[in-house]
Order: sequence, then C-alpha cells, then structure tokens
Amino acid sequence: MASITLANVGKIYRGGNRAVEDLSLDIADGEFMVFVGPSGCGKTTALRMVAGLEDISEGTISIGDRVVNEVDPGKRDIAMVFQNYALYPHMSIFENMAFPLRARRVPKAEVRDKVERTAKLLGLTEFLPRKPRTLSGGQRQRVAMGRAIVREPQAFLMDEPLSNLDAKLRVQMRSEISNLQAELGVTTIYVTHDQVEAMTMGSRIAVMRKGVLQQQGDPQHVYERPVNMFVAAFIGSPGMNFFQACLRSDATGYSLELPGQTVPLPDDVVRERPALAGYVDRDLAVGLRPEHLTVASTGGPTMAGRVIRSEMLGAERLVHVSIEARPVLTDEVVEAAADVDPTTVAALADDSDERQVTLIVRASPSAHVESGAALQVGIVAPQLHFFDLESGDGIVA
Amino acid sequence: MKNRYTWRTFSREFIALILAAITLIPLYLLLVVALKPSKDLFTSAAVPPIPPQWGNFATAWENAGEGGLGNAMLSSAIITLGSVAFLVVLGSLCSWVLARRPGRLSNSLYILFLLGIILPFQLSIIPLYVGLRALGLVGTYAGMILLWTGVMMPLAVFLYTGFVRQLPPDYEEAARMDGAGTFRVFLRVVFPLLRPITGTVAILTGLFIWNDFFASLIFLSGTDHQTLPVAIYSFVGEYVTQWNFVFAAVVIALVPIVAFFIVAQRQMIRGFAGGIRG
Repeated sequence: MASITLANVGKIYRGGNRAVEDLSLDIADGEFMVFVGPSGCGKTTALRMVAGLEDISEGTISIGDRVVNEVDPGKRDIAMVFQNYALYPHMSIFENMAFPLRARRVPKAEVRDKVERTAKLLGLTEFLPRKPRTLSGGQRQRVAMGRAIVREPQAFLMDEPLSNLDAKLRVQMRSEISNLQAELGVTTIYVTHDQVEAMTMGSRIAVMRKGVLQQQGDPQHVYERPVNMFVAAFIGSPGMNFFQACLRSDATGYSLELPGQTVPLPDDVVRERPALAGYVDRDLAVGLRPEHLTVASTGGPTMAGRVIRSEMLGAERLVHVSIEARPVLTDEVVEAAADVDPTTVAALADDSDERQVTLIVRASPSAHVESGAALQVGIVAPQLHFFDLESGDGIVA
Repeated sequence: MKNRYTWRTFSREFIALILAAITLIPLYLLLVVALKPSKDLFTSAAVPPIPPQWGNFATAWENAGEGGLGNAMLSSAIITLGSVAFLVVLGSLCSWVLARRPGRLSNSLYILFLLGIILPFQLSIIPLYVGLRALGLVGTYAGMILLWTGVMMPLAVFLYTGFVRQLPPDYEEAARMDGAGTFRVFLRVVFPLLRPITGTVAILTGLFIWNDFFASLIFLSGTDHQTLPVAIYSFVGEYVTQWNFVFAAVVIALVPIVAFFIVAQRQMIRGFAGGIRG
C-alpha cells in the first residue's frame, strides 16, 4: 500500500483547453478519497493522470515516494475499475481475472490460486468459466473489482464504477465496495458525480468544479462548512436553499431584510462570522439546508411563507414553501442544480420572474401542513450560511 | 387459435420461392453445359444431356492451364490465403495505430489509403510490373502476395480503422493498467475484438483475389503458378472455345468456396452480427 500525492497538477489539452488546474492533494495510505463534481469538472481527468492514461501537463504525481509522471500505467502498480468495467468480452471470467497476473508472468499455479481465492472472496467462483456477457451488471462489476484486487496493487482507482447499475443495486454495491476497501486497506481514489455516493463512501471527499479543487475534507465537514456556494449547492440532497437578502444593522442588532419582511439575526450568528459586519446594507446570498428549516416555531427567527405542496417520503416529509425573496441564480448554483436535475434550472428561472423562492423544508412525517396555507417557517439560526453574491465565497471568518 | 397462415403469407412465400428458383437457373445451366458433349453445346442448351459426360470434369481437371486445375487451385489458395494473412495482420496493426493516435500525420496517411481505394490499380500495372521484375518477383507466389497485399491494403485499412474508431478504448487502457505491453495489448485484447471486421476484410479481399483474372494473367503467364481463372481461360481458344470444359472447370472451382461457406457459415454470420458485447 502507498500514499498518493498530487502536487500542483494541471492538464492542458492540445488546443489550450484546460481540464485540471493546480490540483494539490495528499491521499494517505489506506485512505478512501472520493473526487466528486458535475460532468466536465476534471475529476476523471485527474484520476486518469494518476493512472498514467493521460499525460501530466503541470506538477507531479507521486505514488509512495516515487514520482510517476513518466512511468507507464502498467508499472505504477495501481489497478483501475472502469465505468463500463472494460471486461475483455472474448475471455472467460477466470481469464479476465488472470490477465493482470499473466501480464506480470506470475507462475501458472499461483495465478490459479490467486484467482480462485479472489473469486471466493467476491462470490464469483461459479462464474469463473463463463463469459462476461452472460453475467448481470452487478456480477460484472464484481468481476471488475476482482481483476483489480487479484494482483494486490498499491492503490485502486475507480471511475464511476456504479453508474451503470440500477438504484437498488448501486446502494448494495456501495457498501460492498466500502467494506472491501476497509478490509483490504488499499489506498483508493474513487470518482463519482453522485454526491450521495461521495458522502457515504469517502473517508475524505474532494469537490471539483471546472478543473479546480473547491474544497476537500471529511464528508461531514464539507457538508456542514461549505467554502463556497457551489459546494453548498452541490453537496446535499435535497440541495441547500438559497435566497437573496440585504443585511441591516440598527440599535436592536442585525437582521435580514426581505421583500415585505425582516428576519432578525441572533447576535451569535454575527459574532461567529465577524466578516458579516462588512456586508451591512449590502445584498448577500443566504443558504439553509432543508433540515435547518422547520414548519413549527422553535423560538428562533421565522419567515412568512406559503405551502406549495408536501412530499411524504416515509421517514420524512419534504415541504415546499414559497417565500417572497429574490432567488440566487449565480453560475455556481445553476450548475450545481443542473447536475442534480436539469428541470430545476427552469424552476429557478421561474422563481426569478416571480420574485418568489421555493424553500424545501425537511419535516417529520407527522407534520401537519396543508397546501396553500400560510406558514411561519422556523430557522435554525446557527446553521445559517452566508455567501458573497459576486465571488460566491462563504462568509465565514 | 386464429390461423396465422394467410393468403398474404402464402403469396409472400410463393414469390420468395420463385426468386430463389431464378437464382438457381445459372447454376442449373452451369451444370447442364458442364455435362454436355462438345457436339451438343449449341443445341438445346437448357436440356440435360443423356448420357451426362462426367468425363468433362476429368478433362477439365487435367488439361486446364499449365499444370491442371489442381495445380491452379493450389496456386489460387496460396496466393489468396497468403495475401489475406498479410492484409489481416498488417491492416489491423496499421489501423489500430491510425485510429488511436489522432494527429495530422495519421490523418494524412489515412487519406492516402483512401485514395488507394478510389484509384483503379490497373492504372499502375506497368510500374508495378517493372518494380516486381526488378525485385525478381514476377511469376512467383511471393510477388503475387506482395502485389495483393499492397493493392488491397487501402480497403483493409479503411474497414479496420472505421471499426477500431468505434471500439471503446477502455479495453486497451484496462490492459495497459493490467501491465500488458503494446504487443500483448494488441494480440490478446485488440485483435480478438476485431474478429467481426477481420471476417469482413478476409471475405471481401479474399473473394477479389480468388476471382482476379487480370493481374494473374499479367504477372503469372507462362509459369506453373497460374491461378484458377487463368487456367479456366485456357479452354477459350482464338477460334474455338470448349465451353463444356470451361463450365466443368468453373464447377470444380466453385467447390472449395461452397464447402468453405457451408463449414464456416455459422461462425461467419456470428462474426458479422456479433459486434462487441461486454
């Protein structure tokens, strides 16, 4: 096993198109690192540079103590699981799993032994004589894992390995991969555009956008302390609610001014974010996760709104509440929203026309709300997020 | 249950049977003429001869060309199989590089190959003859194999390159990650994936070479390496053509092709239809 270090790594394609910019990351030995971001954010390119399948235009990549910029993919001692598994269709499952060992001239008896042991670990023994096309998606995925495991590499690279599976199987394979990685303790870089996958699997996640690393850290930290509006919008499902407000200050303290109402801010909120003082009388973006809004008053600040509809999901209820406010339609928010569901972009645009913002409130399934009814939405004030409207950066310090 | 065999189905089947019968007419005439005695050749061509002259086949077998039909068949087989083998090996390798290394040089080379398909090779027959003679290869198997490998390579490269471009590069990348060198990647991973198009290349180029008359006549005249079409042509005289022997020889020449098709048809159809399945 080995650590992987990316130092100021960049990728510029022929024609000047930049895919990755100044990416620096230290991935510790045995760590499960997830690169996450929308399509075209550079996460796969970064992974392929680690694999050796793309030339590195700038910076260095090290595996263990060895700089591997000029090392052939086959000599980096890392294994990769591809999005479409890339199982050799003309070979049996046994041959597929034996291929990396044979390429390294491992003695025949040892090849058989290792393949059979790995197949047993993954429950593939009965499929060994079969061809990949006779296997289901989940089984093929497992074979791809087997081919990676069998030669005991220093690191695993996985390029969206679950994206071809149906939702139920994806959940099952998610935990299988996590368990396997924990059991083997092999350093892993996992690429996905599914933030739920990233949150549940990674011991650390790196959020990327347009080739630039936005934030990295353990999933909980990134979720709770997003450094900018893109990370805030991209991580979390349903996503963070955003609206514009003007920060006011008077003798009674700080407040957020929205069309038709003023929301007082507890002193703690500003005290913990001293930079907010610089935004007095300026518009800023306010962000709130669905679970930090309530349909019943909690004694904290509230906002007046109207229930549009509520969705019962069994363990929780999502209440859509419309409030009068200006929506936040910066590139970051639109891009993050489009990645989750392209139709939400149109909904955001509608909000913009009507000067209405739809907030999603995560409520208990027993919460009683009626469509069309007026509602005072409670705010868990300490969990408020503030962002600069122009730069999109979080106002934290 | 409703009877599904309707008049419409019947008429479709009937038309299909008639079309099938029409395609058999030339074969019937081929056999009838091949079995006729020389004196009856131009009377009632469609009527089967009584008794059939089975000896025509023996005459055609022994007297065709310089060394008989057996020798011509062997020459055709050596030249065809040799050329196809080179076309498959070199064509697939060349196309793999052209398809996987995009750039100005490979694009230009690809266009050069395409020009080779457009230009009729008969235009270059004189320089080719001069070149082969300088190499001492006129009238030899090696010369013919070299000639056909060159002449048919543009078609092989065109077919292979189109196919490789459709092939996901993941298989090759996976093999490289697995530690395979370039040669192993090609031999163990890429080449087996090219099986469908290899079948197409082999059949298209093989049939063209097997049936060729012109190049064989030019480059193999007067040698005992004559191919089937040239050997069959030996029954065509300036004043008299022995059509019964020509037809008998054509029937014999058809046998290996038909036998090959019967033996290999399942694999061939699977190859054409199979494509790539992960």
